[in-house]
Amino acid sequence: MAGSETHGARAVRVTPEEVRRLCEFLYRRTGMLFNDNKRYYIDRRLIERIAATRSASFQAYFAILRSDVDHEIEHLINAFTVNETYFNREEHQLRCMTSVLLGNVIRRKPPGGAIRIWSVPCSTGEEPYSIAIWLMENWSHVDSYNIEIVGSDIDTRALKAAANGVYGERALMRLSRDVINRYFRPVADGEYQIDSGLRDSIQFTRANLIDAQDMARYRDFDIVFCRNVLIYFDDASRRIAAENLYDCLGPGGYICLGHSETMSRISPLFRVCRFPDAIVYQRPEADHDGH
Amino acid sequence: MPFVKRDVTARSKDGRPPDDNLASHVAALNSPDGETRWSAARALGGRADAVPALAAALAAEPVARVREAIMTALIRVGDEASVMALLPYLRSQDAALRGASIEALQALPEAILPFMTSLLADSDSDVRLLATELARNMSAADATRILCRLLEHERHPNVCAAAIDVLAEVGTREAVPALQSCAERFAGTPFLPFAASTAIARISDTER
Repeated sequence: MAGSETHGARAVRVTPEEVRRLCEFLYRRTGMLFNDNKRYYIDRRLIERIAATRSASFQAYFAILRSDVDHEIEHLINAFTVNETYFNREEHQLRCMTSVLLGNVIRRKPPGGAIRIWSVPCSTGEEPYSIAIWLMENWSHVDSYNIEIVGSDIDTRALKAAANGVYGERALMRLSRDVINRYFRPVADGEYQIDSGLRDSIQFTRANLIDAQDMARYRDFDIVFCRNVLIYFDDASRRIAAENLYDCLGPGGYICLGHSETMSRISPLFRVCRFPDAIVYQRPEADHDGH
Repeated sequence: MPFVKRDVTARSKDGRPPDDNLASHVAALNSPDGETRWSAARALGGRADAVPALAAALAAEPVARVREAIMTALIRVGDEASVMALLPYLRSQDAALRGASIEALQALPEAILPFMTSLLADSDSDVRLLATELARNMSAADATRILCRLLEHERHPNVCAAAIDVLAEVGTREAVPALQSCAERFAGTPFLPFAASTAIARISDTER
């Protein structure tokens, strides 16, 4: 049992059965699997959400959750995942990009052809800049191709911050001092601005993943990073977003999702590719007829 | 810097405005080219007047991804006719198609509600079993009411087990008598009383 005073609300206790019920819901919804050895972690977050929604009981909270009142699913998932954005987050996918994905991409390209990479949603820009820096530091063919990196988000305030490219030390925690010195300059106490050359190299645009007309502007990408957003959508929106993303990729293009997402839960349109550094999803190069 | 910056919107500026002509999209659903059929299905999403054409196309479509797009288009309409277009595939011999139709129908919990009584009374136990899964996304009250009514008379243990599994997640305390009675009826099939007791424990613990 767990329970505590949270946000001044009456203490709500959760039972093992209630926690199991929540975990099953969370698993079905996101693929995130929690078992009894994480009880303290789960209880704490669950009790926080019960208090935050002013629910009188688990049952009342579970009803709010299942109906997704005030985007409660998003709040709960946020409580269970690390939402902080920082440079080189999920570095294994960046490693996968340079160790496998780009090799496969350039096999289909003419010498010196263009490689298109899309970060959506890009929030305040950490991900597209991380991709650029990672390529500069880790891909030997970086100067042999024209590489186009686009960062898109639905939030125009985030896009403005991305274009400005100023970050606190915490966002840079995964970067070596060497890399920081090469690509950033200090602008204020504990704040750094990314190199102007890099800022000018990346295009930031507004995009809505579930708006087909909006997404029709984005085509022929070779790699798309689309992390930690699809799990927040309802079934219908998730299908629409997956179909839009399919159209945004070129045949054989790859999509990288967040660690708590699997495309098999989201759409059968993509093929699962298991590489040593990461599991990514691929738009097949051709359709296969039949059932 | 090896990076180039291009105006992503330039591609669309060259293009024509989206074609919203129903007849041309409906005709394109019969194109021999899968890409054309895919685009047509996507363009018809949410158009109630396209449901008959989408339903006909779904019946003939050989490419899985185009079928997905047709089903998404029907979900976006989400009316009674869309549900009726999806329902036949619960009986498909193709497991992938059956699974796809369940997922599509689950996305329409309110539209599917009026069909649940007949689905759960279907003469095919596989259809009844799959129909229990459709209750999972419904409101707790609706799911409990529908599945308890099923448990009162259902004779197939696997259908009961499927209903109990859904009730364990979404059921309310109103389900307890039906679960108890089902456990008694199937006392000779040990896994069912066990499943019912697990569901009762979960529901009762949740609703102390």
